Amino acid sequence: MKLAWQNIVHDRARFSVTVLGVSFAVFLMVFQGSLLAGFLRAASRLIDASDSDIWITARGVQAFEFGIPIEGRLREMAAGVPGVLETSRVCMAFAVYRTPNGKQQVVALVGADRNVGKRFPAPDAHGSTEGMSPDAMLYDVSDRDLIQVTALPTEVEVNRHRASIEGQIEGYGAFLGVPFLFTSYRNATRYLAFGPEEAMYVLLRVDRAHSISDVQQSLRQRLPEVDVLTRDEFASKSRTYWTIRTGAGGAILTAAVLGFLIGLVVVSQTVYANTMENIEEYATLKALGASHAFVARIVLTQALICGALGSILGLLAVVPTIRYAKSLISWLYTPWWLLLVMVVPSLAMCSLASIASVRSALTVEPGRVFRA
Amino acid sequence: MPNHFLGVKDASIWFGKREAQVRALRGVSVFFERGTLSLVMGPSGSGKTTLLSLLGCLLSPDEGSVFLEGEVVNGLNEVERTVVRQKKISFVFQAFRLFHSLSAIDNVALGFELRDAALPGRMKMARDLLIRFGLGDKLNREPNELSPGEKQRVAIARALAGNPPILLADEPTASLDARAGKNICQILRNQVDEHGRTVVVVSHDSRWREFADRTITLCDGQVEKEKGSL
Ligand SMILES: Nc1ncnc2c1ncn2[C@@H]1O[C@H](COP(=O)(O)OP(=O)(O)OP(=O)(O)O)[C@@H](O)[C@H]1O
Ligand SMILES: [Mg+2]
Repeated sequence: MKLAWQNIVHDRARFSVTVLGVSFAVFLMVFQGSLLAGFLRAASRLIDASDSDIWITARGVQAFEFGIPIEGRLREMAAGVPGVLETSRVCMAFAVYRTPNGKQQVVALVGADRNVGKRFPAPDAHGSTEGMSPDAMLYDVSDRDLIQVTALPTEVEVNRHRASIEGQIEGYGAFLGVPFLFTSYRNATRYLAFGPEEAMYVLLRVDRAHSISDVQQSLRQRLPEVDVLTRDEFASKSRTYWTIRTGAGGAILTAAVLGFLIGLVVVSQTVYANTMENIEEYATLKALGASHAFVARIVLTQALICGALGSILGLLAVVPTIRYAKSLISWLYTPWWLLLVMVVPSLAMCSLASIASVRSALTVEPGRVFRA
Repeated sequence: MPNHFLGVKDASIWFGKREAQVRALRGVSVFFERGTLSLVMGPSGSGKTTLLSLLGCLLSPDEGSVFLEGEVVNGLNEVERTVVRQKKISFVFQAFRLFHSLSAIDNVALGFELRDAALPGRMKMARDLLIRFGLGDKLNREPNELSPGEKQRVAIARALAGNPPILLADEPTASLDARAGKNICQILRNQVDEHGRTVVVVSHDSRWREFADRTITLCDGQVEKEKGSL
């Protein structure tokens, strides 16, 4: 084992190159992974934030952002289905927003009933908004530049109606560049000129005594003209739409996959090259009676030291980078498991690459040791 | 069939494929007795290194047999041959083949470790061995800080670690000047006289003649002549 360590310490330049290669790969994988994870999360963020079990949408709605109105009476019909405990409504539409100093901006106005869920941003559901008028509007802090609110409350205009921005929230920033504004359902229908007979999303909570899929089945029978999806189904439909069907999501998905593959290739390549540098010495070891296990242990130890150090360095570099990038791309998201999921394959690749490279040392052609 | 210590019988070996095939040894039979120093000579490409590889269990012949302590060893698989090398055989190379990142003493200590990983006191034994070869003041030098003669002495110390009965050397003095070369000849001769080891040296260097009990000359993959007692 001393040999493994000495090989590393002795050839510092080569060792640094290997470690840098690995850390670059880890950096790339984690950064691209964060882009993808953040994009996926943002693509279904509001659906996931609801407490409902079932979402009713117009037929063929692909994503939360592109809802189509449905008949309001569907809500009463759904409420009559056995197992449905509670109903609520959500709507979303693009609107024209005029900032206090007169600049115009397209916003995505989201209205929700108060019982849609504690985590869902709405003035009368959100925990931090006590003492706020029921028709208040909320904006996300990351969209401050677009919304141009300097003090709260601020009087603004939405679709040429007066509106009052009264609160600031976090974690629901602009997705694809259009900032969200959140308000009550009733208020939103005013701005969006929704008639009382119209709805967009009807959300249902199912009684614990009933199975969600049974209730979903009977709803489908009773309401054949709309889509009845569980929350997770609608969330994944939305994510699929944004990642697969749109160019932007496709680019991020491709970049993430490429980042992962390039990372693995870089790791394998550097470790492989590093092992091949010492191939003659592994041949000598074998000639002197070292077992396969002995040689493999040395190569693996070296690879894992490089892998571990490179991973740590890569993570040390990527964490502050992501923190900075978050100020530009608010939906960037790095779940803790992503770090693990990226480090494990790079360590595994280090091992695999070194095993692949040491195979030639293990099957050493014996004449080799006598060649000058 | 005499119970020879080390040798090959009717050994042939081919390298390469089809048209490009070379027969490096053509039915060679040659034996080495315990406690002798034998010199193998011959022109370049005559099969000297190949013969040494067979004796050292690095290669198996395509035809014929390899004997070690009276046993046939060419039927052994790769793992079994590795064990034979570990227990009985050591090598000295023209290019020294020291581990470049390890100091002289660590190189020799690794030699001990390879023979017996559980052996205690490796460092002390390595130091004693190097002191015996006049390298007491260079224990912690790395290979690239040593002269060729010193490197070869470290390499021999590493080869002798763990007390192997057989030492096979391919051109051990070819990279050395006259004085260092003579020194190496003497060291290997002492291994025979003082420790009863069996040494086979492949060399073009005629200096070896005066140290060898016997000289075998190969030509074109065959034994051309043998001089000296068997
Ligand atoms: N691994 C190999 N692959 C192909 N041919 C080989 C191999 N090893 C040896 N040969 C061929 O076998 C023949 C004998 O080679 P060997 O190395 O035993 O000669 P040698 O007597 O040691 O020569 P030298 O004095 O140049 O070291 C040569 O023709 C050589 O080209
Ligand atoms: Mg040779």
